[in-house]
Amino acid sequence: MSSTEKIIEIKQLVKHYGKFKAVEDVSFDVHRGDVFGFLGPNGSGKSTTIRTMLSLITPTSGEIRLFGIELYNNRNYILSKIGCIVEKPDFYKYLSAEKNLELFGRISGVAITKSKIHEIIEFVGLKGREKDKLSGFSHGMKQRLGIAQTLIHDPDLIILDEPTTGLDPQGIIDIRNLILQLKNERNKTVLLSSHILSEIELIANRMVIINRGKTIIQGSVSELLNAQELIVSIKVDDVRKSCQLIENASSTATIDHVENDSIQLHLTQEMIPTINKLFCDNGVQVFSIEVKRKLEDYFLKLINN
Amino acid sequence: MFWKSTYNEFIKIAAKPRSYIGIGAITLLVGIILFAMKMDGKMYISFITAPFEQSLSFEGNVLNGNLMAFIILNMLIIHVPLLVALVTGDLVSGEGAMGTIRLLLTKPISRTQLLLSKYLAGCAYTLVILLWMGLMALFVGKMLFGSGDLMVLKSDGLIILQQGDLGWRFFYGFLVAFLSLITVATLSLTLSCFSENSIGPIVSTMAIIILFTIIGTLDVPVFDSIRPLLFTTHMAAWRSFFEDPLPKSQIINSVVVLFVHIVGLLSIAIYKFNRKDILS
Amino acid sequence: MKNRIYFTISFLLLALLLMQSAEAQTPNQMLQGVYKMVMLAKDYSVDANIKVDLPFIKILPINAKIYFKQLDKFKVESKSIAIVPRQGFDQFTKMLKDTTTFTSIVTGKEQIGTTETIVLNIIPNADTSDLILGKLWLNKKENVILKSQLTTKSNGTILTEFTYGNQISYGLPDLMVFTVDIKKFKIPKSVSADVNNAKVTEEEKKKNDRKGKIFITLSNYIINKGINDDVFKK
Repeated sequence: MSSTEKIIEIKQLVKHYGKFKAVEDVSFDVHRGDVFGFLGPNGSGKSTTIRTMLSLITPTSGEIRLFGIELYNNRNYILSKIGCIVEKPDFYKYLSAEKNLELFGRISGVAITKSKIHEIIEFVGLKGREKDKLSGFSHGMKQRLGIAQTLIHDPDLIILDEPTTGLDPQGIIDIRNLILQLKNERNKTVLLSSHILSEIELIANRMVIINRGKTIIQGSVSELLNAQELIVSIKVDDVRKSCQLIENASSTATIDHVENDSIQLHLTQEMIPTINKLFCDNGVQVFSIEVKRKLEDYFLKLINN
Repeated sequence: MFWKSTYNEFIKIAAKPRSYIGIGAITLLVGIILFAMKMDGKMYISFITAPFEQSLSFEGNVLNGNLMAFIILNMLIIHVPLLVALVTGDLVSGEGAMGTIRLLLTKPISRTQLLLSKYLAGCAYTLVILLWMGLMALFVGKMLFGSGDLMVLKSDGLIILQQGDLGWRFFYGFLVAFLSLITVATLSLTLSCFSENSIGPIVSTMAIIILFTIIGTLDVPVFDSIRPLLFTTHMAAWRSFFEDPLPKSQIINSVVVLFVHIVGLLSIAIYKFNRKDILS
Repeated sequence: MKNRIYFTISFLLLALLLMQSAEAQTPNQMLQGVYKMVMLAKDYSVDANIKVDLPFIKILPINAKIYFKQLDKFKVESKSIAIVPRQGFDQFTKMLKDTTTFTSIVTGKEQIGTTETIVLNIIPNADTSDLILGKLWLNKKENVILKSQLTTKSNGTILTEFTYGNQISYGLPDLMVFTVDIKKFKIPKSVSADVNNAKVTEEEKKKNDRKGKIFITLSNYIINKGINDDVFKK
């Protein structure tokens, strides 16, 4: 359950580079305790928005408030409460993992001890590699170290830009669990930008979708997705008969797509057993019923419209 | 936070392999010069005293450690600025090229403080380079060649400075030399704020030094008005401490010009760094 | 051709000598007297203060120790760089050792201070001699040279003035003043340590053709006490 306290408030954010409009009108709020999904296709302005929030980029206009206060007059205080990964995490190749964390931890606004560093390194699964130079680290290891450096100073807000890129399936699960742990156990607020929509769907409670520099929609994930129809793919032995049955039934289900051995329908969740019974009663053998990813389709529908 | 950041910058400079190129190069260069002078130094002296040799004889330890130190310091003009720019030109643009600038600028330290901490670390590196050169030149030179008066050759004659009078000259000469190298460091740092790669600022710094040096040495009236304003014209001001009488107003003028350059370039760097959008 | 000229000059000089046969000593005899005087000091060491006043050299006065041993061993020992005339202090002993190598002629008399001196011209007899021309102002009473002007192939022209004190009996001076020619000092800018590229003024250009002086004040002679040859090794 999301609290009403706003940790991030973005209002009518605009960023132009000459004639090019990277961000035209982005507005959204992130509440305390949210795992907030930040979605948009490539080039939609996600990265620009995140960089503006972190004062890496100066906006052309618009308001950015973090922790209830305006960003640009309280930059150092605000940044001391944020841990972030912006795109891929880059570190000093000629230093070890431990030294890198020490370096960044030293200017994070809190005192960082060696034991804290070792604890975090173990937490992200890099125990035993802390003395190794970064030049020998794989992409996945650097990603883990990136997450370590976001947590080293125990921030209130964590901004993760594509945190699972390059990780193996176990790594992706670990990150997902970590994020949930941060939210549930430590009451952290997480802003998560990712292209893996299934991950967002699984862990985010609120989200915003932007396209071409503008906010398309924002709100609770469950409310936004449940209000929409599902796309269900049903594998049958007689596709033609199945289509006829659907048309004759005058149900709320509509045919989206037909293939040789399956039929794709738009329908609500409640209609699934009804359609299954309809096929079975009329001699159509049903081999499988698959609910396609809601968010992915929802996302694509919004973007293409 | 400023001092913590400066400490971080010291660590980074000390860990980068390129930081040791300068120290290694100076060790090698000084070693080569001392070796060459040990082998053929007398011929070098003859070249200096040639105009007088018909009538006069120079007795005493002419080829001594003080002369070696003076000759080695003369290398400052072209060589050591490159070695300084190699490190200071990389301080900002290197972070951009590596991608670490993104993380660095999301930390609760103002961009001005961050830049100044990098600058301070760069100045400290410059001092290390200069001190190392001074150590090699003066101490190793004296170990090999002994001590003695310093013979300074100028275009209008010779000045022979007594060894007892050289301590303060070398000290203040090094201070002014340090100031001129800091000017180079500041220039390369400023150019680094405009670039996203390491090579650009280093090459640009050297190109500017070479261009200004050429303008400074071309005896053409059209450049007469700008020549005194170029920092390269004053980079050799340290040599004024080896003149007799000491040209105080000239030295003060050079120091002021170099300071103005340092302050001006640093202001530009701070302005640019604060307004820079981090897109890499 | 040169031999002919020398022959002619020698003949004229001989005629002049015959005319001056009324004088008690010949020039060579006078010079032999000087030679005997300078040979009295077989070796000596002396404290020297060397002050240089040359147009292209700036140097403070320095103290040195000078060692000399007959016939031509000469050493200047100093912590500082000392500038001394290249010909050293052994010019007379070498030159006067064999009076047959040159012809000396009395050309007149000249007053130097309160002393009347006899002016002698020295002309070498052979082309191969380093000496081109010499002029000596001789104090006949004391058998010492008060002034000399020697032009040599190796060292150019050097005018030397001698002032004597306690060691006049050995022919050793208290003060030597050397006047040398310094012409056209030129050095490539790439080698010079110039800071400024100031234009050379007319006055400075005139420096290119000037004389300079070296003042050597000598004191505390230690004469004929023996000096090891090792002292003169470089």
